[in-house]
Amino acid sequence: MPDYLRMGLILMMVGMVATAILATTESATRGPIAEAQRQETLRMLKSVLPAGFDNQPDVDTVALVDNRLNRKGKPVTFYRGRKGSTNLGAAFVVTAPDGYSGDIEIMMSVLPSGTVNLVQIVAHKETPGLGDKIMPNKTDWLKAFVGKNQDNAKWRVKKDGGDFDQFAGATITPRAIVLAVKRGLDFFVEKKEIIFQPVAAEKKP
Amino acid sequence: MSETSTRQVIVDGFWNNNSIFVQLLGMCPTLAVTTSVENGIGMGLATTFVLLGSNTVIAMIRNLIPSDVRIPAYIIVIAAFVTIIDLSMNAYVHDLHKVLGIFIPLIVVNCVILGRAEAFASKNTVIASAIDGIFTGLGFTLALIILGGVREVLGAGTFLGISVMGSAFQPSLVFVLPPGAFIALGFILVGVRWINQKRDAGT
Repeated sequence: MPDYLRMGLILMMVGMVATAILATTESATRGPIAEAQRQETLRMLKSVLPAGFDNQPDVDTVALVDNRLNRKGKPVTFYRGRKGSTNLGAAFVVTAPDGYSGDIEIMMSVLPSGTVNLVQIVAHKETPGLGDKIMPNKTDWLKAFVGKNQDNAKWRVKKDGGDFDQFAGATITPRAIVLAVKRGLDFFVEKKEIIFQPVAAEKKP
Repeated sequence: MSETSTRQVIVDGFWNNNSIFVQLLGMCPTLAVTTSVENGIGMGLATTFVLLGSNTVIAMIRNLIPSDVRIPAYIIVIAAFVTIIDLSMNAYVHDLHKVLGIFIPLIVVNCVILGRAEAFASKNTVIASAIDGIFTGLGFTLALIILGGVREVLGAGTFLGISVMGSAFQPSLVFVLPPGAFIALGFILVGVRWINQKRDAGT
């Protein structure tokens, strides 16, 4: 057998064994990974939705597309928290495309009355020590959103004449978040009927 | 080479030839993820696992692989182990996996691992290679923990997330940012050299 063929065959065998092992690992971890992601979503939802819901908000969802929620035209999932047939609130992720570095993903929950219940940051790439003061483990800044609605607050940072604090050395990050939450809130108020529409009985999640 | 004593392999891998402090290999994950001790530990242990696995398997197949194609074969073995740990971490330590993110798949191109495969595992027995893998990995982990510790304490005033510097301490932001990684690593290297010089002068 010529050398190049032998080498090719040996490499092929190494590749095949590796592929077989990886395929096994993948199928063994697929379930746990999906479960871990579900638990993460659920934990996030529990932390933002008003307490006391008795449905499963991670499957009681509706997906809507709107350019105000993100700029990519991707559907945004609205997780509904209900107790019996009463709507307690809906949680959804809005994307602020105009942060200091990269997108800021924000999960917010809104009460049926159109009042912000809570705002959390899902993911961000802001500068450590400056822009990341938005995170709840650094400051209480996100609490400023609690209880705000379209009318009882000026939805700008203080520098722009609004009600929300900026940080020394970091205005862009809070400004981006304030505006993104406002866009999310506007969308929610406008589309409330659709957002809280019950899931069609025969439709599987 | 294969007569090297086990003790020598351990001491070399862990300290004398420490992949960070002495060989200065694998700088990308070292500098990028060490913003906290926790990240350092996670990255270090993931790398240790890959090193153990790749060194063991490569030592096992070293006589079957023609030397002309050994590098692609090693890369396949390493990539397989990295993917295994990537999937397992995603499934079982999901939060840490989210923090380390892109740096887990990038273990594939950490030259410490290919370096050990080429320099040690391809010439030594399975047992010796496994020991070398573990202790090179632990040496790497030690370096990441020290670097992560310095950066976390100076840059955030915490150690493993627990505040240690008191409320009067103003964290120095630069240490969490990329330049701080270089500055801290520089001073740590000075320290390691100094310790080694002292030791060598003493014997």
